[in-house]
Amino acid sequence: MNQDPALVSIMRQGPYLIASIHTALDDSQMVRFQHDLVDKIGRHRSRGVIIDVAALDVLDSFGSKTLRNIAEMARLRGAQTVVVGIQPDVALAMVLLGMGTVQVETALDLEEGLAYLDDAVAPRAAVDARDGRP
Amino acid sequence: MTWARRTFPDVSVTEPSGADAVPPGHPEVSALIPIVRRVVGSRVTDRTVADDLVQETLVRVLAAEGRVEAGMLESYAIATARNVVASMWRLQDRARRNQHRVVDLRPPPTPDEDLLAREEQTAVVRAMARLSQRERELLLAHEVSGRDTRTLADESGSSAGAVAAQLNRTRARLRVEYLLAVEGAEPPTDRCRPVLLALSSGDRRRQREVDADRHVVECELCARLSNPLLERGQPRDDVVRIPIRTDADIVAARRAAREMAARQGFSSTDLTVVATAVSEIARNIVRFANAGVLVIELLERPHAGVRMVAMDNGPGIPDVERALADGYSTYDGLGLGLPGARRLMDEFAVASEAGRGTTVTMTKWRRGGRP
Repeated sequence: MNQDPALVSIMRQGPYLIASIHTALDDSQMVRFQHDLVDKIGRHRSRGVIIDVAALDVLDSFGSKTLRNIAEMARLRGAQTVVVGIQPDVALAMVLLGMGTVQVETALDLEEGLAYLDDAVAPRAAVDARDGRP
Repeated sequence: MTWARRTFPDVSVTEPSGADAVPPGHPEVSALIPIVRRVVGSRVTDRTVADDLVQETLVRVLAAEGRVEAGMLESYAIATARNVVASMWRLQDRARRNQHRVVDLRPPPTPDEDLLAREEQTAVVRAMARLSQRERELLLAHEVSGRDTRTLADESGSSAGAVAAQLNRTRARLRVEYLLAVEGAEPPTDRCRPVLLALSSGDRRRQREVDADRHVVECELCARLSNPLLERGQPRDDVVRIPIRTDADIVAARRAAREMAARQGFSSTDLTVVATAVSEIARNIVRFANAGVLVIELLERPHAGVRMVAMDNGPGIPDVERALADGYSTYDGLGLGLPGARRLMDEFAVASEAGRGTTVTMTKWRRGGRP
Protein backbone atom coordinates (compact mmCIF):
# COMPACT_ATOMS: atom_id res chain seq x y z
CA MET A 1 0.00 0.00 0.00
CA ASN A 2 1.88 3.03 -1.21
CA GLN A 3 -1.01 5.45 -1.06
CA ASP A 4 -0.77 8.45 1.15
CA PRO A 5 -2.35 8.55 3.66
CA ALA A 6 -2.25 4.79 4.10
CA LEU A 7 -5.61 3.06 3.87
CA VAL A 8 -4.39 0.12 5.89
CA SER A 9 -1.30 -0.72 7.84
CA ILE A 10 0.14 -4.15 8.43
CA MET A 11 2.58 -4.35 11.30
CA ARG A 12 4.59 -7.20 12.68
CA GLN A 13 4.39 -7.93 16.37
CA GLY A 14 6.49 -10.97 17.29
CA PRO A 15 4.93 -14.01 15.66
CA TYR A 16 1.76 -12.05 14.80
CA LEU A 17 0.70 -9.60 12.12
CA ILE A 18 -1.59 -6.77 13.13
CA ALA A 19 -3.51 -5.32 10.18
CA SER A 20 -5.49 -2.15 10.80
CA ILE A 21 -7.94 -0.76 8.29
CA HIS A 22 -7.94 3.02 8.68
CA THR A 23 -10.84 4.05 6.49
CA ALA A 24 -13.73 2.79 4.40
CA LEU A 25 -12.34 0.61 1.63
CA ASP A 26 -13.87 -0.02 -1.74
CA ASP A 27 -13.95 -3.50 -3.23
CA SER A 28 -10.71 -3.32 -5.17
CA GLN A 29 -8.87 -1.86 -2.19
CA MET A 30 -10.29 -4.70 -0.11
CA VAL A 31 -8.94 -7.26 -2.56
CA ARG A 32 -5.55 -5.57 -2.57
CA PHE A 33 -5.52 -5.65 1.21
CA GLN A 34 -6.26 -9.38 1.13
CA HIS A 35 -3.35 -9.89 -1.25
CA ASP A 36 -0.89 -7.86 0.78
CA LEU A 37 -1.84 -9.55 4.00
CA VAL A 38 -1.64 -13.12 2.74
CA ASP A 39 1.68 -12.25 1.12
CA LYS A 40 3.08 -10.91 4.38
CA ILE A 41 1.96 -13.96 6.35
CA GLY A 42 4.32 -16.03 4.24
CA ARG A 43 7.15 -13.54 4.32
CA HIS A 44 7.15 -13.05 8.08
CA ARG A 45 6.25 -16.69 8.86
CA SER A 46 3.47 -15.35 11.06
CA ARG A 47 1.53 -17.63 13.35
CA GLY A 48 -1.38 -15.34 13.92
CA VAL A 49 -3.16 -12.43 12.23
CA ILE A 50 -5.29 -9.78 13.84
CA ILE A 51 -7.48 -7.68 11.53
CA ASP A 52 -8.79 -4.51 13.11
CA VAL A 53 -11.91 -3.38 11.27
CA ALA A 54 -13.05 -0.71 13.71
CA ALA A 55 -12.76 2.01 11.05
CA LEU A 56 -14.91 0.25 8.47
CA ASP A 57 -18.23 2.03 7.94
CA VAL A 58 -19.99 -1.13 6.79
CA LEU A 59 -19.26 -4.79 6.48
CA ASP A 60 -21.47 -5.83 3.61
CA SER A 61 -21.55 -9.12 1.76
CA PHE A 62 -18.32 -8.39 -0.07
CA GLY A 63 -16.46 -7.17 2.99
CA SER A 64 -17.55 -10.19 5.05
CA LYS A 65 -16.64 -12.55 2.26
CA THR A 66 -13.20 -11.00 1.95
CA LEU A 67 -12.57 -11.39 5.68
CA ARG A 68 -13.60 -15.03 5.48
CA ASN A 69 -11.33 -15.54 2.48
CA ILE A 70 -8.42 -14.00 4.32
CA ALA A 71 -9.03 -16.21 7.36
CA GLU A 72 -9.20 -19.31 5.19
CA MET A 73 -6.11 -18.43 3.17
CA ALA A 74 -4.22 -17.60 6.36
CA ARG A 75 -5.26 -20.95 7.82
CA LEU A 76 -3.92 -22.71 4.76
CA ARG A 77 -0.68 -20.80 5.25
CA GLY A 78 -0.51 -21.93 8.86
CA ALA A 79 -1.74 -18.80 10.61
CA GLN A 80 -4.70 -18.20 12.86
CA THR A 81 -6.88 -15.13 12.14
CA VAL A 82 -8.90 -13.02 14.57
CA VAL A 83 -11.10 -10.16 13.46
CA VAL A 84 -11.41 -7.44 16.10
CA GLY A 85 -13.26 -4.17 16.47
CA ILE A 86 -16.55 -4.86 14.71
CA GLN A 87 -18.71 -1.95 15.78
CA PRO A 88 -22.10 -2.69 17.36
CA ASP A 89 -23.99 -0.92 14.53
CA VAL A 90 -22.03 -2.81 11.93
CA ALA A 91 -22.68 -6.08 13.76
CA LEU A 92 -26.41 -5.43 13.75
CA ALA A 93 -26.47 -4.60 10.06
CA MET A 94 -24.48 -7.75 9.32
CA VAL A 95 -26.99 -9.90 11.16
CA LEU A 96 -29.92 -8.28 9.33
CA LEU A 97 -28.13 -8.69 6.05
CA GLY A 98 -27.68 -12.37 6.82
CA MET A 99 -23.92 -12.15 6.77
CA GLY A 100 -22.18 -14.59 9.01
CA THR A 101 -18.53 -14.62 9.85
CA VAL A 102 -19.15 -17.82 11.75
CA GLN A 103 -16.02 -19.47 10.38
CA VAL A 104 -13.92 -16.50 11.47
CA GLU A 105 -12.73 -16.03 15.03
CA THR A 106 -13.62 -12.63 16.44
CA ALA A 107 -12.68 -10.71 19.52
CA LEU A 108 -13.88 -7.46 21.01
CA ASP A 109 -10.67 -5.48 20.62
CA LEU A 110 -6.96 -5.73 20.01
CA GLU A 111 -6.19 -6.81 23.56
CA GLU A 112 -8.69 -9.64 23.47
CA GLY A 113 -7.46 -10.59 20.03
CA LEU A 114 -3.87 -10.88 21.23
CA ALA A 115 -5.00 -12.89 24.24
CA TYR A 116 -6.90 -15.26 21.95
CA LEU A 117 -3.90 -15.75 19.67
CA ASP A 118 -1.61 -16.34 22.65
CA ASP A 119 -3.93 -19.14 23.75
CA ALA A 120 -4.32 -20.61 20.29
CA VAL A 121 -0.71 -20.33 19.18
CA ALA A 122 1.17 -20.68 22.45
CA PRO A 123 1.08 -24.50 22.58
CA ARG A 124 2.92 -24.55 19.26
CA ALA A 125 5.41 -22.00 20.51
CA ALA A 126 5.98 -24.25 23.52
CA VAL A 127 6.60 -27.18 21.21
CA ASP A 128 9.05 -25.04 19.25
CA ALA A 129 10.87 -24.06 22.42
CA ARG A 130 11.12 -27.68 23.50
CA ASP A 131 12.54 -28.67 20.13
CA GLY A 132 14.97 -25.76 20.21
CA ARG A 133 13.40 -23.88 17.31
CA PRO A 134 13.01 -20.07 17.49
CA MET B 1 13.79 54.54 -17.93
CA THR B 2 13.01 55.40 -21.52
CA TRP B 3 10.86 58.41 -20.81
CA ALA B 4 13.75 60.84 -20.62
CA ARG B 5 15.19 59.62 -23.88
CA ARG B 6 11.87 59.99 -25.55
CA THR B 7 11.75 63.62 -24.45
CA PHE B 8 15.07 64.41 -26.08
CA PRO B 9 15.40 62.37 -29.21
CA ASP B 10 18.20 64.59 -30.50
CA VAL B 11 20.41 64.03 -27.49
CA SER B 12 22.75 61.12 -27.75
CA VAL B 13 22.69 59.09 -24.56
CA THR B 14 25.75 57.04 -25.35
CA GLU B 15 28.18 59.91 -24.99
CA PRO B 16 29.02 61.46 -21.67
CA SER B 17 26.47 64.10 -20.89
CA GLY B 18 26.92 67.77 -20.42
CA ALA B 19 29.58 69.23 -22.62
CA ASP B 20 27.95 68.43 -25.96
CA ALA B 21 24.57 69.69 -24.74
CA VAL B 22 25.82 73.19 -24.39
CA PRO B 23 26.50 74.90 -27.69
CA PRO B 24 29.65 76.99 -27.84
CA GLY B 25 29.29 80.60 -26.75
CA HIS B 26 27.69 79.92 -23.40
CA PRO B 27 30.66 79.72 -21.05
CA GLU B 28 28.58 80.51 -17.92
CA VAL B 29 26.32 77.54 -18.59
CA SER B 30 29.22 75.24 -19.46
CA ALA B 31 30.76 76.16 -16.11
CA LEU B 32 27.61 74.91 -14.36
CA ILE B 33 27.85 71.36 -15.71
CA PRO B 34 29.84 69.87 -12.77
CA ILE B 35 27.52 71.34 -10.16
CA VAL B 36 24.39 70.18 -12.01
CA ARG B 37 25.91 66.71 -12.29
CA ARG B 38 26.57 66.69 -8.58
CA VAL B 39 23.01 67.75 -7.72
CA VAL B 40 21.45 65.15 -9.99
CA GLY B 41 24.01 62.47 -9.16
CA SER B 42 23.29 62.76 -5.45
CA ARG B 43 19.64 61.99 -6.08
CA VAL B 44 19.68 59.50 -8.95
CA THR B 45 21.90 56.45 -8.94
CA ASP B 46 21.26 55.16 -12.44
CA ARG B 47 23.98 56.65 -14.66
CA THR B 48 21.97 56.80 -17.86
CA VAL B 49 18.98 58.38 -16.18
CA ALA B 50 21.22 60.86 -14.40
CA ASP B 51 22.81 61.86 -17.71
CA ASP B 52 19.39 62.41 -19.23
CA LEU B 53 18.35 64.59 -16.34
CA VAL B 54 21.54 66.64 -16.52
CA GLN B 55 20.85 67.25 -20.19
CA GLU B 56 17.32 68.37 -19.53
CA THR B 57 18.45 70.73 -16.76
CA LEU B 58 21.04 72.31 -19.05
CA VAL B 59 18.52 72.76 -21.85
CA ARG B 60 16.21 74.56 -19.46
CA VAL B 61 19.00 76.71 -18.06
CA LEU B 62 20.08 77.64 -21.59
CA ALA B 63 16.53 78.64 -22.47
CA ALA B 64 16.28 80.81 -19.38
CA GLU B 65 19.76 82.27 -19.56
CA GLY B 66 18.55 85.60 -20.88
CA ARG B 67 15.88 86.02 -18.22
CA VAL B 68 17.97 85.17 -15.19
CA GLU B 69 19.88 87.91 -13.41
CA ALA B 70 23.62 87.71 -13.68
CA GLY B 71 25.16 85.84 -10.77
CA MET B 72 21.93 83.98 -10.06
CA LEU B 73 22.44 81.44 -12.83
CA GLU B 74 24.05 78.91 -10.50
CA SER B 75 21.19 78.94 -7.99
CA TYR B 76 18.75 78.76 -10.90
CA ALA B 77 20.55 75.71 -12.31
CA ILE B 78 20.53 73.95 -8.93
CA ALA B 79 16.82 74.66 -8.42
CA THR B 80 16.05 73.46 -11.94
CA ALA B 81 18.05 70.28 -11.45
CA ARG B 82 16.11 69.51 -8.24
CA ASN B 83 12.81 70.20 -10.00
CA VAL B 84 13.70 67.96 -12.91
CA VAL B 85 14.54 65.11 -10.57
CA ALA B 86 11.38 65.70 -8.54
CA SER B 87 9.18 65.70 -11.60
CA MET B 88 10.72 62.43 -12.76
CA TRP B 89 9.87 60.88 -9.40
CA ARG B 90 6.35 62.22 -9.66
CA LEU B 91 5.97 60.72 -13.10
CA GLN B 92 7.33 57.37 -11.98
CA ASP B 93 5.06 57.40 -8.99
CA ARG B 94 2.01 58.14 -11.13
CA ALA B 95 3.00 55.43 -13.59
CA ARG B 96 3.32 52.96 -10.75
CA ARG B 97 -0.02 53.90 -9.24
CA ASN B 98 -1.80 53.57 -12.55
CA GLN B 99 0.03 50.54 -13.78
CA HIS B 100 -2.87 48.24 -12.96
CA ARG B 101 -5.10 50.19 -15.34
CA VAL B 102 -3.17 49.19 -18.40
CA VAL B 103 -3.28 45.48 -17.61
CA ASP B 104 -5.63 43.74 -19.99
CA LEU B 105 -7.22 40.91 -18.10
CA ARG B 106 -9.18 39.60 -21.03
CA PRO B 107 -7.65 36.43 -22.40
CA PRO B 108 -6.11 36.94 -25.79
CA PRO B 109 -8.46 35.95 -28.60
CA THR B 110 -7.94 32.40 -29.78
CA PRO B 111 -8.12 31.52 -33.46
CA ASP B 112 -11.21 29.33 -33.00
CA GLU B 113 -13.14 31.92 -31.02
CA ASP B 114 -14.81 33.32 -34.06
CA LEU B 115 -15.74 29.90 -35.34
CA LEU B 116 -17.19 28.86 -32.01
CA ALA B 117 -19.22 32.05 -31.80
CA ARG B 118 -20.61 31.38 -35.28
CA GLU B 119 -21.46 27.80 -34.37
CA GLU B 120 -23.24 28.97 -31.27
CA GLN B 121 -25.17 31.52 -33.27
CA THR B 122 -26.24 28.87 -35.76
CA ALA B 123 -27.37 26.67 -32.89
CA VAL B 124 -29.47 29.48 -31.43
CA VAL B 125 -31.00 30.19 -34.84
CA ARG B 126 -31.84 26.53 -35.32
CA ALA B 127 -33.28 26.27 -31.85
CA MET B 128 -35.42 29.37 -32.42
CA ALA B 129 -36.67 27.87 -35.66
CA ARG B 130 -38.04 24.89 -33.75
CA LEU B 131 -40.30 27.06 -31.64
CA SER B 132 -43.78 27.84 -32.88
CA GLN B 133 -44.49 31.22 -34.47
CA ARG B 134 -46.40 32.33 -31.40
CA GLU B 135 -43.74 31.21 -28.93
CA ARG B 136 -41.05 32.94 -30.94
CA GLU B 137 -42.96 36.22 -31.12
CA LEU B 138 -43.73 36.18 -27.42
CA LEU B 139 -40.13 35.44 -26.48
CA LEU B 140 -38.71 38.14 -28.74
CA ALA B 141 -41.26 40.72 -27.61
CA HIS B 142 -40.28 40.09 -24.00
CA GLU B 143 -36.54 39.41 -24.20
CA VAL B 144 -35.49 41.60 -27.13
CA SER B 145 -38.05 44.41 -27.28
CA GLY B 146 -38.21 44.43 -23.49
CA ARG B 147 -41.99 44.52 -23.15
CA ASP B 148 -43.27 43.36 -19.80
CA THR B 149 -45.64 40.49 -19.19
CA ARG B 150 -48.54 42.76 -18.27
CA THR B 151 -48.48 44.62 -21.61
CA LEU B 152 -48.19 41.33 -23.45
CA ALA B 153 -51.06 39.90 -21.44
CA ASP B 154 -53.32 42.86 -22.26
CA GLU B 155 -52.64 42.42 -25.96
CA SER B 156 -53.41 38.72 -26.01
CA GLY B 157 -56.28 39.01 -23.56
CA SER B 158 -54.76 36.74 -20.92
CA SER B 159 -53.18 37.34 -17.52
CA ALA B 160 -49.62 38.37 -16.72
CA GLY B 161 -49.14 35.11 -14.81
CA ALA B 162 -50.20 33.03 -17.78
CA VAL B 163 -47.81 34.93 -20.04
CA ALA B 164 -44.96 34.43 -17.57
CA ALA B 165 -45.71 30.73 -17.37
CA GLN B 166 -45.72 30.48 -21.13
CA LEU B 167 -42.41 32.35 -21.30
CA ASN B 168 -40.93 29.88 -18.86
CA ARG B 169 -42.11 26.94 -20.93
CA THR B 170 -40.73 28.56 -24.07
CA ARG B 171 -37.35 29.19 -22.46
CA ALA B 172 -37.22 25.60 -21.28
CA ARG B 173 -37.95 24.43 -24.84
CA LEU B 174 -35.38 26.80 -26.27
CA ARG B 175 -32.71 25.40 -23.93
CA VAL B 176 -33.49 21.86 -25.00
CA GLU B 177 -33.54 22.71 -28.70
CA TYR B 178 -30.34 24.70 -28.35
CA LEU B 179 -28.51 21.78 -26.70
CA LEU B 180 -29.78 19.44 -29.40
CA ALA B 181 -28.62 21.85 -32.10
CA VAL B 182 -25.17 22.19 -30.51
CA GLU B 183 -24.86 18.41 -30.35
CA GLY B 184 -26.13 18.24 -33.90
CA ALA B 185 -28.23 15.29 -32.84
CA GLU B 186 -31.81 14.22 -33.20
CA PRO B 187 -33.20 12.47 -30.12
CA PRO B 188 -33.21 8.71 -30.74
CA THR B 189 -36.58 8.06 -29.07
CA ASP B 190 -39.95 9.81 -28.71
CA ARG B 191 -39.38 9.95 -24.98
CA CYS B 192 -36.25 12.11 -25.17
CA ARG B 193 -37.91 15.48 -25.85
CA PRO B 194 -40.55 15.24 -23.11
CA VAL B 195 -37.89 14.06 -20.63
CA LEU B 196 -35.44 16.83 -21.54
CA LEU B 197 -38.24 19.37 -21.40
CA ALA B 198 -39.26 18.20 -17.94
CA LEU B 199 -35.64 18.44 -16.77
CA SER B 200 -35.18 21.83 -18.40
CA SER B 201 -38.25 23.32 -16.78
CA GLY B 202 -37.29 21.81 -13.43
CA ASP B 203 -40.81 20.46 -13.07
CA ARG B 204 -40.51 17.52 -10.70
CA ARG B 205 -44.09 16.33 -11.07
CA ARG B 206 -43.65 16.21 -14.81
CA GLN B 207 -40.26 14.51 -14.41
CA ARG B 208 -41.95 11.73 -12.45
CA GLU B 209 -44.75 11.44 -15.01
CA VAL B 210 -42.32 10.83 -17.84
CA ASP B 211 -39.96 8.79 -15.59
CA ALA B 212 -37.09 11.11 -16.39
CA ASP B 213 -34.50 9.52 -14.07
CA ARG B 214 -35.01 6.12 -15.63
CA HIS B 215 -34.78 7.46 -19.15
CA VAL B 216 -31.57 9.37 -18.44
CA VAL B 217 -29.92 6.14 -17.29
CA GLU B 218 -30.97 4.37 -20.49
CA CYS B 219 -30.42 7.07 -23.09
CA GLU B 220 -26.86 8.16 -23.71
CA LEU B 221 -27.79 11.40 -25.46
CA CYS B 222 -30.16 12.46 -22.70
CA ALA B 223 -27.57 11.53 -20.07
CA ARG B 224 -25.18 13.96 -21.71
CA LEU B 225 -27.70 16.73 -22.26
CA SER B 226 -29.26 16.42 -18.84
CA ASN B 227 -26.08 17.59 -17.08
CA PRO B 228 -26.27 21.25 -18.13
CA LEU B 229 -30.03 21.22 -17.67
CA LEU B 230 -29.84 19.85 -14.14
CA GLU B 231 -26.95 22.10 -13.20
CA ARG B 232 -28.78 25.30 -13.95
CA GLY B 233 -31.77 24.32 -11.84
CA GLN B 234 -32.09 25.39 -8.23
CA PRO B 235 -29.71 23.28 -6.22
CA ARG B 236 -32.02 21.05 -4.23
CA ASP B 237 -30.63 19.76 -1.03
CA ASP B 238 -33.30 17.14 -0.44
CA VAL B 239 -32.28 15.10 -3.48
CA VAL B 240 -28.82 13.95 -4.46
CA ARG B 241 -27.77 11.89 -7.44
CA ILE B 242 -24.66 9.77 -7.36
CA PRO B 243 -23.49 8.28 -10.63
CA ILE B 244 -22.34 4.70 -10.15
CA ARG B 245 -19.69 3.23 -12.40
CA THR B 246 -16.75 2.05 -10.36
CA ASP B 247 -15.88 0.49 -7.01
CA ALA B 248 -15.07 3.90 -5.58
CA ASP B 249 -18.59 5.10 -6.43
CA ILE B 250 -19.99 2.42 -4.12
CA VAL B 251 -18.16 4.01 -1.20
CA ALA B 252 -19.31 7.47 -2.33
CA ALA B 253 -22.90 6.22 -2.56
CA ARG B 254 -23.01 4.72 0.90
CA ARG B 255 -21.35 7.80 2.35
CA ALA B 256 -23.93 10.06 0.69
CA ALA B 257 -26.79 7.83 1.89
CA ARG B 258 -25.42 7.94 5.41
CA GLU B 259 -25.17 11.74 5.30
CA MET B 260 -28.71 12.16 3.98
CA ALA B 261 -30.13 9.79 6.58
CA ALA B 262 -28.17 11.59 9.30
CA ARG B 263 -29.91 14.81 8.29
CA GLN B 264 -33.22 13.07 8.90
CA GLY B 265 -32.14 12.25 12.43
CA PHE B 266 -31.61 8.52 11.97
CA SER B 267 -29.96 6.61 14.78
CA SER B 268 -26.37 5.54 14.25
CA THR B 269 -27.49 1.94 13.90
CA ASP B 270 -29.92 2.84 11.15
CA LEU B 271 -27.26 4.93 9.42
CA THR B 272 -25.12 1.82 9.17
CA VAL B 273 -28.12 -0.22 8.07
CA VAL B 274 -28.89 2.25 5.27
CA ALA B 275 -25.23 2.42 4.21
CA THR B 276 -25.00 -1.37 4.14
CA ALA B 277 -28.08 -1.74 1.96
CA VAL B 278 -26.83 0.95 -0.43
CA SER B 279 -23.48 -0.80 -0.62
CA GLU B 280 -25.17 -4.06 -1.67
CA ILE B 281 -27.39 -2.45 -4.27
CA ALA B 282 -24.70 -0.18 -5.70
CA ARG B 283 -22.40 -3.16 -6.06
CA ASN B 284 -24.96 -4.88 -8.30
CA ILE B 285 -24.82 -1.87 -10.63
CA VAL B 286 -21.02 -2.01 -10.86
CA ARG B 287 -21.07 -5.77 -11.40
CA PHE B 288 -23.84 -6.10 -13.94
CA ALA B 289 -24.38 -2.78 -15.67
CA ASN B 290 -22.16 -0.26 -17.42
CA ALA B 291 -23.59 2.64 -15.57
CA GLY B 292 -26.28 3.59 -13.18
CA VAL B 293 -27.32 6.20 -10.74
CA LEU B 294 -28.43 6.29 -7.14
CA VAL B 295 -30.99 8.96 -6.33
CA ILE B 296 -31.34 9.64 -2.63
CA GLU B 297 -34.37 11.62 -1.61
CA LEU B 298 -35.46 12.84 1.78
CA LEU B 299 -39.08 12.16 2.63
CA GLU B 300 -41.20 14.13 5.05
CA ARG B 301 -44.59 12.53 4.45
CA PRO B 302 -46.12 10.59 6.03
CA HIS B 303 -43.06 10.90 8.29
CA ALA B 304 -39.32 11.42 8.13
CA GLY B 305 -37.52 8.92 5.98
CA VAL B 306 -35.13 8.45 3.16
CA ARG B 307 -35.79 6.86 -0.20
CA MET B 308 -33.06 5.46 -2.39
CA VAL B 309 -33.65 4.59 -6.01
CA ALA B 310 -30.90 2.72 -7.81
CA MET B 311 -31.22 2.54 -11.58
CA ASP B 312 -28.98 0.89 -14.10
CA ASN B 313 -28.89 0.12 -17.79
CA GLY B 314 -27.78 -3.48 -17.28
CA PRO B 315 -29.20 -6.67 -18.76
CA GLY B 316 -32.01 -6.82 -16.21
CA ILE B 317 -32.92 -9.61 -13.81
CA PRO B 318 -34.79 -12.41 -15.60
CA ASP B 319 -36.59 -13.71 -12.53
CA VAL B 320 -37.01 -11.09 -9.82
CA GLU B 321 -38.90 -13.45 -7.50
CA ARG B 322 -36.04 -15.91 -7.52
CA ALA B 323 -33.43 -13.19 -7.12
CA LEU B 324 -35.22 -12.03 -3.99
CA ALA B 325 -35.27 -15.52 -2.54
CA ASP B 326 -32.33 -16.30 -0.28
CA GLY B 327 -29.44 -18.11 -1.81
CA TYR B 328 -29.83 -17.10 -5.44
CA SER B 329 -27.00 -15.32 -7.13
CA THR B 330 -25.65 -14.96 -10.61
CA TYR B 331 -22.20 -13.97 -9.51
CA ASP B 332 -19.61 -15.35 -7.21
CA GLY B 333 -21.12 -14.10 -4.00
CA LEU B 334 -23.32 -15.31 -1.22
CA GLY B 335 -26.59 -14.87 -3.03
CA LEU B 336 -27.67 -12.34 -0.45
CA GLY B 337 -27.45 -9.09 -2.33
CA LEU B 338 -31.13 -8.39 -2.85
CA PRO B 339 -32.79 -10.36 -0.06
CA GLY B 340 -30.23 -9.05 2.42
CA ALA B 341 -30.84 -5.47 1.41
CA ARG B 342 -34.59 -6.08 1.60
CA ARG B 343 -34.27 -7.25 5.20
CA LEU B 344 -32.44 -4.01 6.04
CA MET B 345 -35.12 -1.76 4.56
CA ASP B 346 -38.71 -0.96 5.44
CA GLU B 347 -39.89 -0.91 1.86
CA PHE B 348 -38.19 -2.60 -1.01
CA ALA B 349 -39.24 -2.98 -4.63
CA VAL B 350 -37.44 -4.31 -7.66
CA ALA B 351 -38.54 -3.60 -11.21
CA SER B 352 -36.55 -5.14 -13.99
CA GLU B 353 -36.91 -5.49 -17.69
CA ALA B 354 -34.70 -7.71 -19.79
CA GLY B 355 -32.35 -5.62 -21.88
CA ARG B 356 -33.39 -2.32 -20.31
CA GLY B 357 -32.12 -2.49 -16.79
CA THR B 358 -33.18 -2.69 -13.21
CA THR B 359 -34.65 -0.23 -10.76
CA VAL B 360 -34.45 -0.90 -7.06
CA THR B 361 -36.50 1.40 -4.86
CA MET B 362 -35.96 1.18 -1.15
CA THR B 363 -37.22 3.26 1.73
CA LYS B 364 -36.21 3.46 5.34
CA TRP B 365 -38.33 5.39 7.82
CA ARG B 366 -36.89 7.00 10.87
CA ARG B 367 -37.64 4.80 13.80
CA GLY B 368 -40.07 6.35 16.26
CA GLY B 369 -41.55 8.40 13.44
CA ARG B 370 -43.92 5.64 12.45
CA PRO B 371 -47.46 5.85 13.79
